[in-house]
Amino acid sequence: MREIIAAPRGGLDLRVHYGHHQSPAVRAGGLIFCSGMLPVDPETGERRHGTLTSEAHVIFGNLTLLLDAAGSSLARLVQVHALIYDSIEYDVLNRVYRQYVANGPPARTVWTAQIEAGFKVELDVIAAA
Amino acid sequence: MPAKRELIPWPVRAADVAAHARPGVSNAVRGGDFLFISGLMALDPRSGEPMRDTTAAETRQILTELAALLEAAGSSLEKVVKVNVLLASMLEAPNMNEVYAAFFSDPPPARTVCGARLPDGVKVMMEFTALA
Repeated sequence: MREIIAAPRGGLDLRVHYGHHQSPAVRAGGLIFCSGMLPVDPETGERRHGTLTSEAHVIFGNLTLLLDAAGSSLARLVQVHALIYDSIEYDVLNRVYRQYVANGPPARTVWTAQIEAGFKVELDVIAAA
Repeated sequence: MPAKRELIPWPVRAADVAAHARPGVSNAVRGGDFLFISGLMALDPRSGEPMRDTTAAETRQILTELAALLEAAGSSLEKVVKVNVLLASMLEAPNMNEVYAAFFSDPPPARTVCGARLPDGVKVMMEFTALA
């Protein structure tokens, strides 16, 4: 059984705002697979470019909303892929990351990649349902 | 009891591609409720060599092979839950997205797209998780 998680706020449906052919999240086999989370305004969908830190704060806010709508939470994250634009900001990512994922953190892999629209960070996560 | 892990062979129609598969890499593995599919790149169905075509053409080739692979494993495009797309250039994302949309009917799977340096001069690589 595959169940689609709808965007909990209008701004979080990237298909509506940017034409990305994707669902915000899919629940299957006891897990929740989220589409790549980007720093967009949860109400308007407008891009919120900034520092890696400010972008990560927006992303974690959006992720909290999405996981909450799926009946999960940040505490139930299983695996995180953190994409950053430059590995020199690795420590910057860690400092903001641990504010949200403090104890018993999920498995994580960080790598550098070209992120859409010139964003500095993107989170690709799987959570327990 | 440990969960079963089962390797999925390529379907017969793609046997020539399978002959050129990367050594030590299974294309699909069933584990738990899921089918995990390796990063696929567009290979010429006859020669098994990388197509090195446009992003749109490579996307079409990958998703055509994916459909055959899923079918061989008893799954289908409708059971795909997550796709990770790696592009040689994010400027090509709309070209990938347009072809991609024709393969995945509503509602589509979750997806992450990013730009990365890819091997063998390919422009697209896609990794999939599907329900078995």
